[in-house]
Amino acid sequence: MRNLIQNILIPALTLASSAPLFAQYEFFTPKDAFAIEVSLPNSSEKRLPMYRNAITSLHVQGDRVIGGTTAKEGLSPYLFVTSLSGRKMLAMKDLQETIPGQKAIATGFCKGAGNVLYAGTLSHSGKDQQAGHLLQVTIGSGDAIEVKDLGSPIAGEGIFTLLSNAQGTALYGISYPSGKFFTYDIASKKTQVFDEVAPKEKELKNAHDFAVGPEVYLCKALIQDSKGLVYGSAAGNRIFTFDPAKKSISFLETPLPAVWGREVLGQVEAWAKAPNGKLYGGNAGDGQLFVLDPATKTIKNLGKPTMMPRLQALAFGGDGKLYGLAGGAPGYSHLFSYDEKAGFVDLGNPEFKMVEPGIEQGILWRGFQLSTLASSADGKYMVIGEDEALSQLMIFPTTK
Amino acid sequence: MCAATSFAQKSPTEDKNTVFIEYPDFPEAHSTWGSIGYNAASNTVHIGVTNHANNIGLYTFDASQKTMKLNGFIKEMANLRPYQWQGKIHSKIVAAPDGSIYFSTDGGESREEYLMEHPQGYAGGFFMKWDAKNGLKNLGIGMQYESIKDVDIDPKTGTLYGITYPQAHFLVYNPEKNQMRDLGRLASSHVPRVLFTDWWGNCYYVDWRQRLVKYEKDSDSLVFAREALPAFPGTPGSKIITGVTAYAKDEAKGIIYLVTYGAKLIAFHPEKQGIGKVEDLGGVIETGKAPAWGPYVPNLNIGQNGKLYYIIGGHGNYVLKDKTVLVEFDPATKKPTILREYPTTSMTEATGSDIRDKDGNLYFAARRRTGEGDSSRPFMIQFNPEKEIRK
Repeated sequence: MRNLIQNILIPALTLASSAPLFAQYEFFTPKDAFAIEVSLPNSSEKRLPMYRNAITSLHVQGDRVIGGTTAKEGLSPYLFVTSLSGRKMLAMKDLQETIPGQKAIATGFCKGAGNVLYAGTLSHSGKDQQAGHLLQVTIGSGDAIEVKDLGSPIAGEGIFTLLSNAQGTALYGISYPSGKFFTYDIASKKTQVFDEVAPKEKELKNAHDFAVGPEVYLCKALIQDSKGLVYGSAAGNRIFTFDPAKKSISFLETPLPAVWGREVLGQVEAWAKAPNGKLYGGNAGDGQLFVLDPATKTIKNLGKPTMMPRLQALAFGGDGKLYGLAGGAPGYSHLFSYDEKAGFVDLGNPEFKMVEPGIEQGILWRGFQLSTLASSADGKYMVIGEDEALSQLMIFPTTK
Repeated sequence: MCAATSFAQKSPTEDKNTVFIEYPDFPEAHSTWGSIGYNAASNTVHIGVTNHANNIGLYTFDASQKTMKLNGFIKEMANLRPYQWQGKIHSKIVAAPDGSIYFSTDGGESREEYLMEHPQGYAGGFFMKWDAKNGLKNLGIGMQYESIKDVDIDPKTGTLYGITYPQAHFLVYNPEKNQMRDLGRLASSHVPRVLFTDWWGNCYYVDWRQRLVKYEKDSDSLVFAREALPAFPGTPGSKIITGVTAYAKDEAKGIIYLVTYGAKLIAFHPEKQGIGKVEDLGGVIETGKAPAWGPYVPNLNIGQNGKLYYIIGGHGNYVLKDKTVLVEFDPATKKPTILREYPTTSMTEATGSDIRDKDGNLYFAARRRTGEGDSSRPFMIQFNPEKEIRK
């Protein structure tokens, strides 16, 4: 044991004490990866303020990255636009100017017709709690962010999850905290509510027994298959489908993959559709990646990229690989890739160079808490958003 | 910016102004890492000494009696279980007016960062309190899986501040209410060094641009400086992001002296509200050979004469070949003078901020290499720049 301490532990520990960061690993630092500083208090640069910048929604539109944030209690979130080629922040908008009392834009952005985007909000909790709103977001001339308030689809409820159909004519969502499924017709502005997926008394008791709330048991992500069916999760470790043509909900026979005894934690928090139409999903409960075959309605458990629960984001890169964000607090998020041949590759914490006015020599930015992932339409870039008190964007190339 | 460096008396080891003090009763003792502090209530210096694996001894040096005593080992005094192993105390040791001392614990690196919930993983660093009468009190973990690299205290309220590794979260802990608040990550890839407080109890760290970040207690908020602390042209980003490595306070003059990882000396004039004036005093030394930002200074003390004293070198970074040097810096003239040169075999590196006893003796927590690899022995340096040390 003494030899072990002298030969292995002491040299390993010594490195940590005062020297630059050395370790027994290498960071994921692909050539041409970079970080964009989007948050910085008290700056002459255009930057998001502290505690209002956790990047919980991301979309890449041509050269522009559009972000939506979540704020700490009592503060309002922002929308922002950055340029990939310019590697800089272009515009930001305080949502308080349009809709007061909101806390989060955490649904991701859904593409409507043309370049119109849609997102939903969650309001602050408390006795004066307001409903969440549907937002219509466009980037106008000079990168001006234009937000239109489409109102609250369900009275008193926030919007936890949102998806647009392939045509960009309808929105599908999950309300918060009751967990109702709703549809919203963009042209007519009509909402239809479905109660079937909302947790019932038994599921609510189970959640209470496990000391978890709606953030854990409500469906966090929806996806549509090539035939138009919408998929999401429901409390009880189940997957439901919504048929827009029949306006009906049904449940798959195959449950979400689970660690025994922890089924109550089942929650899909990320989806990505492969070119072959298969749906890849991430289960927050124990961090399993799974694939759902829409043709057979069966689920295959592909395993856990890391030891931790959570799988917060999934997106296909231009290199054909599926990228994802596994894990998170109280540990760290791990970026991983997956393809059928190689399986999982754990890329760990990305560390990219940040070059900005005043730090022209560049500093290395290591991402610990990563919440969002979006690929550019041309497949050249993958954009990661951080979830921190001061969050930044991290970008790496994914071209073949 | 640097005034020319002059050379004064040189000595290989001890002399009438310098005493090397060993730590008794801990054969495996390996090192100390900034884990030193002065307790004015008892005129004592407290040191955390580690085997650099899993055992930490807490020592007290009685500056009046000239005795060094092992109070006990942290894992036993704090009733830690094997899965709550701690690699070392990396924080300085701060004292409250009532004579109790506070510090935090640290895991080390690789095992700490990556094993986490693995059976050999790191539970997290603790805030701890100790006094001679009641012994050690474990105040709990700061953040799960995170080390606490440094602490400081608001002596008026007893509020503790902490900075974690590797995520660099700034913590504010009220021991009376057992209220722990995480104010979030302040930077990214670096090993955090020192927090410091001003005389009002506000606490400071730096962001990734090496701008001062102040926890302003009156507003209960973080205030970010508009400008970065001074740095030499060409200072690498890894130096900038690390920021301040040591400090020393001259309360009578209203100045807190800082030394940065980029080898700048700075006179900071804190103000109760907002960020105060920052004055560039130049480099820690001028060698004329290496880049000015290169020297490594993880320590700083101030004498009763108002001059600064620091030891340059460590981690393979030395301004003289295989030698550490003790430097006197006069803020009035901005002139550094090398007072002593030590072979790295007698002193490899030293840490510690602002440790001075009633007699004007200054203290550094040092170590010397003892063989191949990183084997070393820790010892404490007592140095009086103005008079012979009373033995």
